[in-house]
Amino acid sequence: MLDLYDKIQDACRTIRERFPIKPKVAIILGTGLGDLTEEIDVEVTIDYEDIPHFPKSTATSHRGRLVCGHLAGVPVVAMEGRFHLYEGYPLKLITLPVRVFKELGVELLVVSNACGGLNPYFNAGDLMVIEDQINLLGDNPLIGINDDRLGPRFPDMCEPYDQSWVDRTIKLGRDLDLTIHKGVFVAVAGPNLETRAEYRFLRTIGADVVGMSTVPETIVAVHCGLKTVGISVITDMCLPDALKPANVQEIIAVAGRAAPNLQAVVRGIVQEAGTDRIA
Amino acid sequence: MTTPPPSEAYHFIKTRTASVPRLGLILGSGLGGLASKIENRIEIPYREIPGFQSTHAVGHQGCLIFGSLEGVSLVVMAGRFHRYEGYSTQQVTFPVEVMKLLGIEELVITNASGGINPQLKVGDIIILRDHINWLGGVLSPSRKMNAQEEWNLATHRHASDFYSRKLSEQALGIARQNDLPVFPGTYLGTLGPTYETRSEYRMMKVMGADVVGMSSIPEALMGKQLGIDPLVLSIVTNVATPDQQNIADHDEVLLVGQKTSVFVEILIRNLLQSL
Repeated sequence: MLDLYDKIQDACRTIRERFPIKPKVAIILGTGLGDLTEEIDVEVTIDYEDIPHFPKSTATSHRGRLVCGHLAGVPVVAMEGRFHLYEGYPLKLITLPVRVFKELGVELLVVSNACGGLNPYFNAGDLMVIEDQINLLGDNPLIGINDDRLGPRFPDMCEPYDQSWVDRTIKLGRDLDLTIHKGVFVAVAGPNLETRAEYRFLRTIGADVVGMSTVPETIVAVHCGLKTVGISVITDMCLPDALKPANVQEIIAVAGRAAPNLQAVVRGIVQEAGTDRIA
Repeated sequence: MTTPPPSEAYHFIKTRTASVPRLGLILGSGLGGLASKIENRIEIPYREIPGFQSTHAVGHQGCLIFGSLEGVSLVVMAGRFHRYEGYSTQQVTFPVEVMKLLGIEELVITNASGGINPQLKVGDIIILRDHINWLGGVLSPSRKMNAQEEWNLATHRHASDFYSRKLSEQALGIARQNDLPVFPGTYLGTLGPTYETRSEYRMMKVMGADVVGMSSIPEALMGKQLGIDPLVLSIVTNVATPDQQNIADHDEVLLVGQKTSVFVEILIRNLLQSL
């Protein structure tokens, strides 16, 4: 497990050879949200296959490459295609890119995901900035011998998402006249969607949205001291007492319609981060 | 990775000590101080015992100590194995199997935990009446269980019977006599190693947990399966305050553990006297 450190160095070396600029922001794009990379003035794209130790993507509608360039004039790296526990990847592998970003000098991590809405005041197509999270994955990326060079044995989780960025993201949404909620994201392993009883349970324990990603990446970001802002796109509503069968086409369509809003918000965040001394 | 049978560890230990311990004691984070009080001690580092892993957690030493306290012969685990270190449930519970072979009749387990119940204060001690097992993993003894042992876990459907009634009542009595802050409660075991988010604390409160920690349940289950009703003492080393931010700190956990270990020592010494 102590070889993780060397793996990070290997991956960094390869990325730096192709993209020698120090990125300020890293962006992880969720299901159906890959179009955001079209906004980036691309310097170079690197397939995950060409980056040592990076996992290879399998999920539908995920591509699997690292887009390096500038967004709103700020140097960024963006993951087009991300990895999920339900695909069978170990969490240590899924979260390796986050550690690589930290090592590259990234100061802010922006994670996005598509999720189901549990809070009845939300609507499909709305955005939510993640205020806090609940880990129901049944696993943790930090299990194993801790490498003290990478972070503490027992990371504190009282503020996994940077609260000042939560506030700033909401303000950005208002300026853009978009609905951005603030709420709690719960991660489950999947890949099946939840039963009505499970949705009731998740709502009872305090979750506003449910998804199958993001929590592992955020735990590792906390572990390595990387500030994180998380944005969920609510692609369908999961109201247990009025539940309809999930329609994948419809979900992807909603994600597509919400994508421009997400892009605008992420662009705004990156722009602010660029003018800002984050650390 | 397969573990050698506990008999191998047993025979190795027998080459070092002829002691037949009456009670097994597992010491949690920051409670190692009690280990130094054991009289006529023989220490065996885990790394020498076949089938034992080595501990990596801060505040855990990593050896078996044989000796006596208050005239009772015991075996003490100074340092334990955690799931968050990457060990399987079988590796975590293996020492309990070995202690049973060595002859223990009682099993006392201590741990450090976070207080979920808002009535709890740092330094309080919870006697487990019940637990919620979110550690995952399947209890898998390294040898085949006999019919009685198979039955031991199956028959205890009533949570009130899971933990030792006798020892719990005695410990609560000792606490009253000595004015110690000891209360019965429910322990939630999670994988860790991250501390909880504010939302996770709120969830745990809704679920009915009084304290949350990352250990003890596997060992308690193994004890139970082998026919020993365990006693688990959980020391509240920090309290969850989900509505006001507060950074959890492992050093603080260790410090509180050291302070409260005086109470734990009083409890355990009195318990041993009453055996």
